[in-house]
Amino acid sequence: MRLRERPQSLSAMPTRLQRAVGMAVMLSLPLAGGIRLAESVHAADAPAGVAEAVAAAVRLATAGPTGGQAGLAADADLVAAMEPAMLVPCLAAFAEATPAGVNWLSSGLDRAVEQLGERVPLDELTAFVADAGRPARGRVLAERWLRSRAPEQAAALLDSMLSDPALPLRRAAIEKRLAAVADAAEPEQLAVHREMLTAARDVDQVQAIAAWLREHGDAVDVSEVLGFVKQWRASEAFDNVGGIGFAAVYPPEEAAAAPNVADWKAVTAEGDGGEVDLNAAIGTRKGVVSYAVAEVDMQRGRTAEVRIGSPCAVVVWINGEKVIDREIYHASEAIDQYVGEATFRAGTNTVLVKCCQNEQTESWAADWKFQLRICDPLGTPLGVQP
Amino acid sequence: MSATTLLSGFFRRRWAATAAAGLLIGAVAPAVAGDWLGFHGNDGSGVAQTPIRRTWTADEGIAWKVDLPGRSVASPIVVGDLVVATASSGPKQDQLHIVAVDRETGELRWERIFQATGRTLCHPTSAVAACTPASDGERIVALYSSCDLFCVDLEGRLLWQRNLAVEHPRAGNDVGMGSSPRIIDDAVFVQIDCQGDAFGSAIDLATGDDRWSVTRAKIACWASPLEVDLEGQGTCVLMQNPRGLELRRVGDGTAVWLWEGDVGGIPMAATADGLIYAPTNGVAALDPTAESGRPQWQQPKLSCGISSPVVFGDAVASLNRGGVLVVADAADGSVRKQVRLAGTFWSSPIVVGDTIVAVNMEGTTFVVEASGDYAILAKNELPGSFPSTPAAADGSLYLQSETALWKTAAAE
Repeated sequence: MRLRERPQSLSAMPTRLQRAVGMAVMLSLPLAGGIRLAESVHAADAPAGVAEAVAAAVRLATAGPTGGQAGLAADADLVAAMEPAMLVPCLAAFAEATPAGVNWLSSGLDRAVEQLGERVPLDELTAFVADAGRPARGRVLAERWLRSRAPEQAAALLDSMLSDPALPLRRAAIEKRLAAVADAAEPEQLAVHREMLTAARDVDQVQAIAAWLREHGDAVDVSEVLGFVKQWRASEAFDNVGGIGFAAVYPPEEAAAAPNVADWKAVTAEGDGGEVDLNAAIGTRKGVVSYAVAEVDMQRGRTAEVRIGSPCAVVVWINGEKVIDREIYHASEAIDQYVGEATFRAGTNTVLVKCCQNEQTESWAADWKFQLRICDPLGTPLGVQP
Repeated sequence: MSATTLLSGFFRRRWAATAAAGLLIGAVAPAVAGDWLGFHGNDGSGVAQTPIRRTWTADEGIAWKVDLPGRSVASPIVVGDLVVATASSGPKQDQLHIVAVDRETGELRWERIFQATGRTLCHPTSAVAACTPASDGERIVALYSSCDLFCVDLEGRLLWQRNLAVEHPRAGNDVGMGSSPRIIDDAVFVQIDCQGDAFGSAIDLATGDDRWSVTRAKIACWASPLEVDLEGQGTCVLMQNPRGLELRRVGDGTAVWLWEGDVGGIPMAATADGLIYAPTNGVAALDPTAESGRPQWQQPKLSCGISSPVVFGDAVASLNRGGVLVVADAADGSVRKQVRLAGTFWSSPIVVGDTIVAVNMEGTTFVVEASGDYAILAKNELPGSFPSTPAAADGSLYLQSETALWKTAAAE
């Protein structure tokens, strides 16, 4: 749920509401699930100014996407001048933060913590960080403050964060767990690494743990852990001379929800990166387009992230709905390079990828490939192939 | 092949008349001793009139060294009593740092950490912190490869921000964006040149809102905008990409000159005395008032590689990736000297006092005479990898490796 409107300053509200600060905050802000102000700000004990600071924090957090929004600098000043009791209520505003809002709110809160110095309420911060139901951005920020002021207190929190929804905290918890067994006997190290492989979500952390396990005898299938879609069928090549193919609508995408794949060639994604190599499948070509289709089953209908990596221009459709299109050739390639959100239905879903190769002749422009996985926002692989 | 496009008969006639009258004025004056406010100096000239010491090591002749909180290939800037650097950190390099340290002591004055909102993939040789920040002496703007642009005051107070990849979802380049912002007439000029949503904008320094914005060719480029003043036309901004150069009026973005040709996508052009020294087949001296568009001269031996050329006095110098410094006459392009340095260069040479300073990736700073025999006066080594162009102010060099910032002590 989005905040419906910019809350007015409480200084302009009736005195009765100013006295009942907590209630005033609740009335003035159409609170979403993540903003649990009532737990932190009670009418009876809230210091003066809390409501104003929280209202300013919410305005910062909900900053719009365009323009400089220089007017918010005054709100950041208000937040920066806060008293200790305001810190956790303001952190809660991250629940509805926009991309711009994250930075506006963080900058005000960082200045507030500098200004508060030793008056930073460490115990309240600790409780906030420990609560996985609180907004991840706020918890990560609070953990940074805590780490610089009470490192042992911060480190202790990590022990319960191996499956934390805040990825930086989960990553740090996994690093700590692995470090704790660095000098242990190999069986214990193996057991912990296997456990951490299932806990990790950051691709580089998964790869590092898998590498360690391989060095110690485990046959880890990294592409399986990362959940790449492996079974595909690839079409014949269509024209992309002069780059016309990216925008051209060839027959497979005229029926993107159910392309006719009768003559398409079966292709299996290879390697740790789950790459579909179209040069190998169709033959090394330049100035061409090929389509690849896969079926993925979902246990239930849901939204999920489609994550594709390719050095070539790509378009992705899920059940006929276009979710990604990037006309970029040979600038880079990486796992999860482009991410789009898609709606999947329960049962079988059709994934259609259009992968365009250009006519560059340099050796580094030879690759014609892609890799694709479907994940939740944390990077947990979803879907199985029939 | 190249061709000039004068966008209207009015401009063609006006500029021709202006040139004939000898009324062209060059770019703004080189930086004087105090500050170093952007990439390649206050005005992009890469020239500072301040004497520096010629020798140092990691243990001697160094005023201070500070570690950066992350990785950076940007240059530091010097503004007032601060030295400001940028860096990125985190597994995805999506934590964007602005660090301000005390110019005299190197002590941390403040640090701001922002969250990237755009793409943070980049080639290993680059970094998310690749664009050098800029300042007008009161405010600092920092642009990152993620297309996030932040403006803070000298106390680190966020004044405005632009998340340009949110506004232009296909903006960005997974090799890494590197064009630095330039402040001209209270506006911030940015070039977001990429294969996706490419554009150039003038952003009001006070509010962060667009003054104007233009679509640019969908082609990657890492060169930075540059100020060019032409009497009669007002102040202009030069924007380049591998297909050519264009001059736009700072005030309203009106394009007043286009030059088509193969131009380097990384080195920034230089300007002096009404001429543009463009990195194209070496360096070519272009007169934007000339009808033909033919360079006044072109010198292939002034190969720029990645480094931007520098114009100083009556000379122009370039540095190729293999470490050959070539000095030529700015009037006719005739080569005066080729000086073989050593190593691989990603940074650009600058002229400080009476010396040319060039830093290779391996951390060796060459101090070369800026006249006479162009002799190598000193080779000074520091540990680390140095892709950044140094800053120079008040008798010191500020040398930045990928992870640390060094200030040389005052001249001997």
